[in-house]
Amino acid sequence: MTTVAEPRARPQPSTLTRLRGWFRNPWGKPRFLGVFTWAYILWSIVPVLIAVQFSFNATRSRTAWDSFSTRWYWGDPVDSVLHDPSLSHALVQSFKLAAADVLIAVPIGVLLALGLARWRGRGSGTSNFIMLFPLVTPEIVMGVSLLLVFSHVFTFIETGTLAQLLGHVTFSISFVVVIVRGRLFSIGRQYEEAAADLGASPFVALTRVLLPLLTPAIVASAAVVFAISADDFVISQWLSSGGSTDTVPIQIYAATRAAPLPSVNAIATIMMVSTLLIVAVGFLTWRFFTRGERRAGTAAEDMGGAFNIT
Amino acid sequence: MTHHPKERPYSLSRRVFLLRSAGAAAALSGAGPLLAACGNTTSSNDTGDELTGPGGLPLARPDKRVTLPRWEDPIESGLEPETGGTFTVFNYPAYFYKKLLTEFGAKYGVDVQYAPFDNVNSGLQRLASGAVTPDVMEITPDTLDIGVAGELIKPLNLDYIPNLQKNIWPQLVDPFYDGESRYTVPYTCYATGIAWRTDKVTEDIAGMEQPWDIFWESQAYEGKVALLSENRETIGMALLRKGITDINTEDSALVNEAVSDLKELYGICNIKVDDLQYQTVPEGSSWLHQAWSGDMIAGYIYYLPKGTPASALAFWKAPHGKVPVQNDCFAICSTTKKPVLSHLFLNYLLDNGVAYENFVDFNGYQPPLNEIDPKTLVQKGVVPENLENSVLTNGDLGPDSLQYGTLTSQGQQLWQDGYSNFLAGGGS
Amino acid sequence: MYRRWLWPGLALPGVLWLVLLFVVPFYAVLGVALGTVDPVLFQPVPIWNPLDWNVGWLNEVLGRLAPGGIWFDVGIRTIVYVVVALALCLLIGYPVAYFTARHAGRWKGVILILIILPLWISYMMRMLAWVNLLQEDGYVNQFLMFTHVLSQPRDWLGGSASTVIFALVYGYIPYLILPLFASLDRIDRSHLEAARDLGASRWSAFRSVTLPLSKTGILGGAVLITLPMFGDYYTPNIVSGAPNTSMIGNQIDLYFHGGPQPTIGAALTIVLAAFLTILMLYYLRSIHRAQREAGAVGAL
Repeated sequence: MTTVAEPRARPQPSTLTRLRGWFRNPWGKPRFLGVFTWAYILWSIVPVLIAVQFSFNATRSRTAWDSFSTRWYWGDPVDSVLHDPSLSHALVQSFKLAAADVLIAVPIGVLLALGLARWRGRGSGTSNFIMLFPLVTPEIVMGVSLLLVFSHVFTFIETGTLAQLLGHVTFSISFVVVIVRGRLFSIGRQYEEAAADLGASPFVALTRVLLPLLTPAIVASAAVVFAISADDFVISQWLSSGGSTDTVPIQIYAATRAAPLPSVNAIATIMMVSTLLIVAVGFLTWRFFTRGERRAGTAAEDMGGAFNIT
Repeated sequence: MTHHPKERPYSLSRRVFLLRSAGAAAALSGAGPLLAACGNTTSSNDTGDELTGPGGLPLARPDKRVTLPRWEDPIESGLEPETGGTFTVFNYPAYFYKKLLTEFGAKYGVDVQYAPFDNVNSGLQRLASGAVTPDVMEITPDTLDIGVAGELIKPLNLDYIPNLQKNIWPQLVDPFYDGESRYTVPYTCYATGIAWRTDKVTEDIAGMEQPWDIFWESQAYEGKVALLSENRETIGMALLRKGITDINTEDSALVNEAVSDLKELYGICNIKVDDLQYQTVPEGSSWLHQAWSGDMIAGYIYYLPKGTPASALAFWKAPHGKVPVQNDCFAICSTTKKPVLSHLFLNYLLDNGVAYENFVDFNGYQPPLNEIDPKTLVQKGVVPENLENSVLTNGDLGPDSLQYGTLTSQGQQLWQDGYSNFLAGGGS
Repeated sequence: MYRRWLWPGLALPGVLWLVLLFVVPFYAVLGVALGTVDPVLFQPVPIWNPLDWNVGWLNEVLGRLAPGGIWFDVGIRTIVYVVVALALCLLIGYPVAYFTARHAGRWKGVILILIILPLWISYMMRMLAWVNLLQEDGYVNQFLMFTHVLSQPRDWLGGSASTVIFALVYGYIPYLILPLFASLDRIDRSHLEAARDLGASRWSAFRSVTLPLSKTGILGGAVLITLPMFGDYYTPNIVSGAPNTSMIGNQIDLYFHGGPQPTIGAALTIVLAAFLTILMLYYLRSIHRAQREAGAVGAL
């Protein structure tokens, strides 16, 4: 009979060794990538949070924090967003354009998505190509072309709000099509065919069966259109007639190059929060309406999948 | 680079448009009368020594006075002003104190509307196409030709505008670009010089033999030096530095040499271009900047942070005959339904009190009033003493003064292409 | 069950809109760029008939971009900035997308939302945030001095190329990460497992399985950010302002907002668009090829 030797006391590894082991664990998740990813996220978002923080600064400084105050939002009688006409007009103009863009681009885009997805005849390929092109056209090229077309072809339209709106809708339509079409493909024809089997006319099948199924995509695309319209700089600037047709990005651009007051941070924050709220609503609506169809993975992934235009 | 005037109580960014039009082409689309006027003109080449611009009208220069032909008779004297309805002022955004407009409207029983344009050229375009029907509009000496050739502005009857003779500098009562003031009255004026921070820049710029050389000796201030983002101003400055006073030259050798001089600045101070000096110099993010004369006044009034003394700002402009001086004007549009009232408006804006209030309480751009002289402004505390030379006087103008005038189309291309070369940067 | 004209009919408003406000404007650019200028009115006169097109301006622009021309430096500089920014975006973005797609586990949803978040934050706001941080007395300088990396504040906004490239990377990287993530996410784990089973190390499994399968994502993301980057003019203006860091977009901006030659601006726009179309076509061809190679994998 052998006696079992006392297990030798093993020295406790130092913190550094344990940390290195954690990193190098071949069976664990790749730690470096994880740290890297979280570092990226911080680098990506923290500057914006700091900018938001400074919009509540009590002094004029955008680099030295003093104390919390809402003067740049409504308090300051001259320079706050509420009282400075250039800022408040820009905010109104941005919202106006974004809302009008949604109201026009989404219906057109939904119809176009339906048409392009199902159209099999001549011209469908070309139409599809025309629809995809705005997505990859640099904005400056679009800005130039729209400015020239309004100066030389459609001369009855001047630079200003109407021209800006037309430009916004033009680049928004493609986004709506891509999102709605993605949803169409995942729905397939089954429901309409079932409805037809049950005696529904094509019109009823389209409006009472297909469109409701498309609702999450429509809502999501509305949120996306709002966001890209609110963010647009180049087209709005090129088609602006100065002064009251300036949007928030234009104001931020002009101020950032000079010596901005925290009121610029404030107006940017207002715009950002509004956009995020609307996008969140769109996202939640999408999730709500697709709750029955949830596969492994998140609905955000589906939305992310919508970004594959190929 | 585009600049969009903000509707702040004070914003100088629209000056960009002012000077852009000084070098920019007239852009009018399909205006009938304009085409007729140009029917049998000579091309806008240099034919002999008669430089012509739009409509074949001769190009005015400070030493070459031009009297524009009247395309119709001005209205009769002694008529009663029209009243009721709207009265539209066509101008850069936020360039005229709204309070003064309302007072004018109350006095004559009209509703004064303010219609903004992006710049004078696009404004004239919209006027020609009939998109707008204003009563009066702001215009510049070099776009004046287009207005006249296109019959877009009306000849004036100066009987309604006694303030012109009474209050305005003699040089501008009968200016070289509009002899006998047949079409315009002056509005504001400004000169180009150098602005800097005395607490950052140690050189005595005003005392230098050629102050413009400071830009070529600004190695110590790398990244803090800038020029105006305007093709006439930058190339013009390089010409003036070498002692060339013909700032309307169309000699490509001179312009190209000026551009290569400018390109040296990349290596010297990593030169920037913008029109933000009225903010960036007081704030301290720019230490040495080509500037317009009202900029430091505006900086002092609106943008100087607490804790920075007014003495930190300085401005230099060249003496008479070597400094570019510009002014802009007001004219009556041919679309007006209230010609008499329009004349009275022009008289109104030349009123001492009105023009002064517009300047000090709103615009920051100096009107050419006899009453305004640098000493009085310093006394009243409007202008700090060290910026006294930012205020212009009648003596700054004259046949030997410098002004950026319209160029022929070749000339404009030359200057713009030169500026494009400068803006392209160096081999990096 | 539907009428045949229904689908084209539904598509009609959209197609009409895009033709009128996208295709026609392109043609207007061509018309102006290949037109003439009225010498008296100083006004561009577009020419609509292709047979009458005047290539003078186009030649002028091409001459300026050629070596020795006044825009050669700007063109090269723009290409350099875009290529470096793209490389940095890939270097940073690929690991992030990879981690999120493959290793995020229960954090996946949260991380995904955080990565998508910048897309909804206005580009201008994100630039504003960095301009504030990069001020001489801003947090970046304070931090770097605090950690003794710098002994005195550095002027980040004084016209430096690295700041411009940094801003481009910061601005455009979210648009790269998303398609990268989407394509990485779709890769079937079983392929990787098969590679490991066959004896590949982690790194060579990545190289021979994951990387090729994510190629379409890389290409797609690269196209998605380089095309707009080539036309960018506002980013150098915001973080620099010096001609020495200007990009080709600044020249287009100049000729449309400062003078008598919109024809040059239009011609330069045409050249830029043509250059980018070539890139686009290269991308489409690579996609096509990748599609054929990948076969059933990665339902594209």
